[in-house]
Amino acid sequence: MTAIQSRPGAPWVGQGIDRVDGPHKVTGTAPYASDVTMAGMLHAVVVTSTIAAGTITKIDTSALLTLPGVRAVFTHENFPRLNTPPVIPFGDTPVAPLQDGRIAFHGQEIALVVADTPQQATEAARLVEVVYAPEPALLDPADGRPEPLSYLPDTHRGDTEAGWAIADVRVGASYRTAENTNNPLGLMGCVAAWDGDHLEMHDTTQWPIALRQTLAAVFGVPESGVRVHVPYLGGGFGAGLNQWAYKLLAAGAARALGRPVKLMLTRPQMFRLVGHRPDSEHQVRLGAARDGTLTMIEHRATSLSSLDHPAVGLLTAGTPQVYACPNVATVERTVRLNRRYPASMRAPGEAEGNWALETALDELAYELGMDPLELRLRNVSSVVHPPSGLPWSSNALVECCKVGAEVFGWSRRDPRPSSMREDGLLIGWGMAAAFYGAYLAMSRARVTVYADGTAAVRAAATDIGTGTYTVITQLAADLLGLSPHQVDFQLGDSDLPAAAQSGGSGLASSLSNAVIDAVTHLHGELLDLVGEGSPLYGLRPDDVVCRDGALCRRDDPATQESIADLLAGQGLLEASGDGRVRLPDPATAGMCHAGGFGARYVEVAIDPMIGRLRVRRVVSVTDAGRVLNPKLARSQILGATVGGIGMALFEETLTDPDTGRVANGTFGDYLLAVSADVPDVEVIFVGEPDRFTPAGTKGVGEIGLVGVPAAIGNAVFHATGRRLRSLPITVDQLVM
Amino acid sequence: MKTTRSTAPAPTTQDEYTVDVFTVVNGAPVQWRIDTRTTLLEALRDSSGLTGTKRGCDQGACGACTVHVDGARVLSCLMLAAQADGRQVTTVEGLVGEEGQLHPMQEAFVRHDAFQCGFCTPGQLMSAVCLLREGRAGSDAEIREYMSGNLCRCGAYDNIVAAVREAAGGGA
Amino acid sequence: MRAFVYDCPDAVDEAVASVAADPQAAFLAGGTTQLDLMKDGVWTPDRLVDISRLPLRGILVESQQLKVGALTTMEQLAAEPVVAQRLMFVREALLAGATVQLRNMATIGGNLLQRTRCRYFRDPTVSACNRRSPDSGCAAVDGVARMHAVLGVDERCIALHASDVAVPLLAVDSTVLVSGPTGQRRVPLSEFWVRADEGPSIENVLGHGDLITEIDVPLLPNGWRSGYLKVRDRASYEFALTSAAVALQMDGDMIADLRIALGGVGSVPWRAREAEEMLRGTHVDPVRFEQAGRAVMASAFTVPGTAFKVDLAVRTLSRQLLTMTEATP
Repeated sequence: MTAIQSRPGAPWVGQGIDRVDGPHKVTGTAPYASDVTMAGMLHAVVVTSTIAAGTITKIDTSALLTLPGVRAVFTHENFPRLNTPPVIPFGDTPVAPLQDGRIAFHGQEIALVVADTPQQATEAARLVEVVYAPEPALLDPADGRPEPLSYLPDTHRGDTEAGWAIADVRVGASYRTAENTNNPLGLMGCVAAWDGDHLEMHDTTQWPIALRQTLAAVFGVPESGVRVHVPYLGGGFGAGLNQWAYKLLAAGAARALGRPVKLMLTRPQMFRLVGHRPDSEHQVRLGAARDGTLTMIEHRATSLSSLDHPAVGLLTAGTPQVYACPNVATVERTVRLNRRYPASMRAPGEAEGNWALETALDELAYELGMDPLELRLRNVSSVVHPPSGLPWSSNALVECCKVGAEVFGWSRRDPRPSSMREDGLLIGWGMAAAFYGAYLAMSRARVTVYADGTAAVRAAATDIGTGTYTVITQLAADLLGLSPHQVDFQLGDSDLPAAAQSGGSGLASSLSNAVIDAVTHLHGELLDLVGEGSPLYGLRPDDVVCRDGALCRRDDPATQESIADLLAGQGLLEASGDGRVRLPDPATAGMCHAGGFGARYVEVAIDPMIGRLRVRRVVSVTDAGRVLNPKLARSQILGATVGGIGMALFEETLTDPDTGRVANGTFGDYLLAVSADVPDVEVIFVGEPDRFTPAGTKGVGEIGLVGVPAAIGNAVFHATGRRLRSLPITVDQLVM
Repeated sequence: MKTTRSTAPAPTTQDEYTVDVFTVVNGAPVQWRIDTRTTLLEALRDSSGLTGTKRGCDQGACGACTVHVDGARVLSCLMLAAQADGRQVTTVEGLVGEEGQLHPMQEAFVRHDAFQCGFCTPGQLMSAVCLLREGRAGSDAEIREYMSGNLCRCGAYDNIVAAVREAAGGGA
Repeated sequence: MRAFVYDCPDAVDEAVASVAADPQAAFLAGGTTQLDLMKDGVWTPDRLVDISRLPLRGILVESQQLKVGALTTMEQLAAEPVVAQRLMFVREALLAGATVQLRNMATIGGNLLQRTRCRYFRDPTVSACNRRSPDSGCAAVDGVARMHAVLGVDERCIALHASDVAVPLLAVDSTVLVSGPTGQRRVPLSEFWVRADEGPSIENVLGHGDLITEIDVPLLPNGWRSGYLKVRDRASYEFALTSAAVALQMDGDMIADLRIALGGVGSVPWRAREAEEMLRGTHVDPVRFEQAGRAVMASAFTVPGTAFKVDLAVRTLSRQLLTMTEATP
């Protein structure tokens, strides 16, 4: 960090200040897309298919147009023709909607009803009559063809068969995870309004710039004329990364009708139209020497995906990264079916892959007669990144494991299954290690200082609840020598400098990098205003800092010029610096850019007679590099822990085997963890600022989920002696 | 507070699918002339512009739409607006004091970071305020049980419990 | 939701007459099931007669029974002190039955009439549902069925009656008072519901225009103890996988008398009379408890998704019998 702190309370980075947007959220005044209304706005409701494969032969909508308030019914026969959506890495746009009568999955968008009120549109949508020519649907994974993933090749290091042959102890088993649906509490949707070729959209995207790019391409208008607003959104967990069809439907309808159109999905549609974590199957084989040293790791995994949309994958991406095993192989495939689109969901792939690998390691520990913690410590490669041979830019996994064990009291664990009992309950203690890969994406940011001493930071980022508003405000306050209340961070508007998505746990790192760069450029802009007689004249941007409304010599802060005076001298009211992400070249950096690491310790209590499981304790230790705001970072880990509990014990989106219909697509049938399911979670951060990024951050949004399911499953084994390899672990699996 | 009571619907003034509703929202009398199908949630948001109350499922299963009707917490998505006729409704907008000061529960939520995306927050707050009134903040377990009708997908439960505990006077 | 005329009468007779006169009319009370079904398009009345303002709210405590107005909310009944003293399992079932918000809205009368949670029943795009449309088939039997019934069902319909409080109310032989077009009548709960295997499209004995006005709930005699055990995945806010309502009177270590009903297993709340008979007058014996449970579940009809419920129900009952026989009154 380059800032010199001066204001009382500084440095702000590292302090657990309250969320700057908190007052808006607790008073109900934070504007979400669903809260937007416009003059003349119409309401649209999506109609979805009731078969999984085939074509629409007839869709009669004429009667609907006579219903009160109904303005239009769009089908593939009359919806505007759309250009093919552009390819956007990690956020692919599904096939453009209503372009033909083909059905690729049950629940697909087949019509759009637009009416004066939501009630009228909803009722008319229910009455749309469709005749299909059904075709046999590919629904059973066993009938599908496993395909490799273009962006995730098989990996090999060493010779796994040789590693298997020399192993003293071997384990191998299959593991499964269920389909989970992101289900942010905020229903996704948008308001679209056109003015000539200009399109304005209020949406629930996690990536305003990608949406702008998509809308411009699909509708054949200049990107400069498309503006996306998302100052707030009701969560996303990955569901807001893709440019889903509903956005194109709303924009197309609004253009055709010449009126603003609001389209909010229903909760059942949230299970079908905005992605999910796909089902996955894993085969893991591990070999180890008698002392626990791993001799081989093999991880084969398959996820399910849809016909028109590739899998998200990444099930095996983390497997070669953590342990210093000479012989490692990963093989990943996907099977395309007539099913709804998968997409990213909090720690995509890694959550599932870690479940398989860290459960297998627990099995290996028991085969070895070794403490599961000891097995991890023996094999963690804490200095060198095993696949590249380069040193990690940071890695505190060993510390995570040790601190967690200490706080949890792991040394008091009797390793024998079913050995710990309390009031008729079986107590189980389990642990797992966690890793989440580093991700950074191009971001820009603009930092502006004003004559009145305040400042603004602007970037087209989003805050999905992770705290972007707050942490960037803190960072900018330190860089500008101001207090957070003097800094206004404006985001959620695609007209602002382009920023990365809220995804991959990379936004804070990317954006802070751009903000640091922007402040350097601001220094240059201000130095440009300095007169020849000034003691600052001729200095370079790195030689100065901003502080209390003055531009100061970095090495002699008393030598300074008032920024207000500098601006006034040139008749200016403000000065800005634009910045972008600047990173060391990975090829020459001489280190491997590390992601987050963690260790999860869990205590479960099981009533074996009735299969009742309660998570009683969680200790979650994370190395996330520099923690910009410990209060908000802790919240991220807490929330991810709740997500991990849900994945382990409750969440499973079920599909009718015969029809491909989502069988439990409501909050009454698909269970999220509730307050009563969650214990007081102990959250601990360890480690040092990462060396690879200027801010030293590694991301906290996803790592907290990774490892929780495996730690729970391992605790279940310790409690019961029963190795459950399929998530979720439910009552019927636990009765003994 | 004086309330008026209508005999709905009023067939002479509108067609038979329209209803007039007189209610008191956050202390102020309100009249809605609405489609009979309109839920209390929709009337608050669409007719009165009180968009603090959120729609998370519209099926009575998430709690985001929780408001108080005659002092009791209810799900506004499962109540017809017509059923609120003559009743006192309080929404999250009504928690703020007359000078704009935050309710102690709102302050506690901010201090304890009892939310992330903020979407479930109005419903959580309305539940939490009632929970204290119901006398159900005696222990963390009790708070958790009686707050379980409000889903938080961001998983802020521990912080919500801490905020409620503090607002209940049990300290931070 | 289909458009409807909304009516809000002031008197029971007026409400009954209003519905009776219009085949497409229906009563609306707390709305927690009804509005959900209307939004799903499963239930499409043309006229809603809102009874929520009728004078049917409140609890009259008599020496041997409670007279519970049909519009009394779940929360109100749970808060009644006599319920905690003499009908603990009713209180426990109420508190476990729904969230506070739902309990503030849902009425006791409406709770008895709640419709099944079966997702095939609740999705009108699923054509095979004998409960919705007679002789159309049952998609649940071959579908995803975890939250479905195993007693009082067959291959025509496996819909579950998901009420919690109905289970102990049935166990104590409650009766409902019904006002209808032809006058008033009293129906014991044991004769109120119609099992799915006796006709999947008929759920209870009420005719069009019949309105439950009161539920009479006998109090357990002094010296009895009772409890409700609900087994579910989540710790709160979920329908039962299985549940057991047990009330009993001990005489030393002998069960002098008892009442048992089970939830989460039947197309109707399930009175376990076989188990009561097997255990009445016997000593506390876990083996016998399990045998009694097995006897109740002997007639179970299962599909792959519900097979686990047979064993789980036996365990749930056994556990609750153990808890109740060990407890102090």
